[in-house]
Amino acid sequence: MNLNVDSSQGNSAASREPQFEVVWPSSPRGVQSNPKAPRLDRLEGKRIGFMWDYLFRGEELFPVLKRELERSGAEVVGYEAFGNLHGPNEAQLVGEIASVIAARGIDAVVSGNGC
Amino acid sequence: MRASVAAEKAGIPSVSLVCSGFERQALATGRGLGIDNLPLAVLNGHVDSVTSEEMISRFLAQTVPEILRGLTVESLESDAQHGEPSALDIVGCGSIDHINDLFARKGWSDGSPIVPPTKDRVDDFIAESGNDPWRVIGQARPSSRDMTVWSVAVNAVMAGVRAEHFPVLLAIAEVLADPTYGVEHSGNTTGADALIVVSGPSTAELGFNSGAGALRDGTPANTTIGRWLRLYQRNVCGFTISEHDKATFGNSARVVLAEDHETLREIRDHGWFPLSADFGFDANDDTVTIVRVNGGTIVGSVFGSTAEQIIAYLADGLARLSGWELTHNYGLGSGQFQPLLVVSPLLARTFVRSGWSKDDVRSALFEQARIPAWRYESYIGIWSNLTTGQPTLTELAAAGHVPEAFAVSTDPNRLVPIVFEPSKFRIAVAGDPNRANAYVMSNDGPHGMWTSKRIDRSRSDDLVCRVE
Repeated sequence: MNLNVDSSQGNSAASREPQFEVVWPSSPRGVQSNPKAPRLDRLEGKRIGFMWDYLFRGEELFPVLKRELERSGAEVVGYEAFGNLHGPNEAQLVGEIASVIAARGIDAVVSGNGC
Repeated sequence: MRASVAAEKAGIPSVSLVCSGFERQALATGRGLGIDNLPLAVLNGHVDSVTSEEMISRFLAQTVPEILRGLTVESLESDAQHGEPSALDIVGCGSIDHINDLFARKGWSDGSPIVPPTKDRVDDFIAESGNDPWRVIGQARPSSRDMTVWSVAVNAVMAGVRAEHFPVLLAIAEVLADPTYGVEHSGNTTGADALIVVSGPSTAELGFNSGAGALRDGTPANTTIGRWLRLYQRNVCGFTISEHDKATFGNSARVVLAEDHETLREIRDHGWFPLSADFGFDANDDTVTIVRVNGGTIVGSVFGSTAEQIIAYLADGLARLSGWELTHNYGLGSGQFQPLLVVSPLLARTFVRSGWSKDDVRSALFEQARIPAWRYESYIGIWSNLTTGQPTLTELAAAGHVPEAFAVSTDPNRLVPIVFEPSKFRIAVAGDPNRANAYVMSNDGPHGMWTSKRIDRSRSDDLVCRVE
């Protein structure tokens, strides 16, 4: 199958040069696309977990967010529950996220900070 | 984003906090991990460049509403990319100028002219090796694209790599597929770039230059293989500015560094082994070792005829090199600052004449490559804010985060090591055999960690099938 073939035509000197048909330099994705989880119907009574990479001033931002979420009636599980999700233990700790969520009865998470 | 994807896959809604300018990379990372259109909340500007009051004010006004919306409002739009070609599709035809224009426009080239990757050329490139073109070596991160033998060969043709070097490329691809290396971090903002080191008895036969101008372009093996890695990271791993590459500056592709195998063979009995021996390989193995390095500097005109005379200057070079990267000992990593010292064969022989093995050199470097504690603490805390609470080295040692050697006193002017232990110094032998110069490079910790693989030059046992 030729998909969106980009070709050159014309009377220029280049058109009298050898012509090449070239293949795609990338590769198909090896993962299936998954649906996102359903959003919450409300915040009141829900338990929100914080996940942090211990970078970029999260220690200042997450307490502010905690206050705002609690104002909406949500309960917050601090980032300590998940550990530092960046650096040498990243793969292990990311692999444990699902079990931490289940053990803590967490309904949704806020994760940061990518800067 | 990896954490958010883990939560979403567990059936739990997430919102990810990113600074301005990271939105495209964040969405691409989510897409690569199998979740389209991950909900984001943007921190306006960069949090490191504003006062606390400004940051909190912006956070409350702009980011918090986005967080609340992302947790509770379903988003229907998709950022999925559809209609990609398949491996054998013809994506362009025309003259060499036209093909080069097309590849530059599509973001598929590095800006220099490429060799048009025709199906026949790629097919021929693979056929000599006996590899199955559709064998998947691993999954490229963060794009999650399949690292097929075919895709390795397409980019090899583009880079001008010779078919005899295909086994080297396959070994490099194995490094990229190894989680130890951490290729997914190759787009971090500080913009380090990969250095490939080849070692072993086949180095000369494969045409690598390990002598004068070892890191200079001009030798096809060294130059084209370095170029291939950059093209492969771009086209298969996804490190383009429009997707996963967030380098503030970055570097051009690095020429492969080949170790001087003949010199190493001659001094092996004195405790000098190839770099890959640090990672469990035998001195007679052909290997590639890859590390991401931030940069380097020359230690020029090293004067002295004994080990004792030349070690101080080499240690000084490593100490001068050590700044922000020290966060890979604590902050961004743990004991993962492992800088590289490349000594010329002449300097290696000077050590041997004094009876020093490579391990003796490392031990001496551990004692002499030191910086004041206050400077160290400034790099990892005060100046970079990369250690929460900005603890002192004494506090970190008490908590078990750094070795006791960092806390022999509380004097801020005391000299502390730059690595956790002597074995963390990496040493290679290359360059003009008759010059007394060295080169030092700083690694990027877990964002491209030292990883070695064997080069298998035997013909593959894969099902040999020419692509029709």
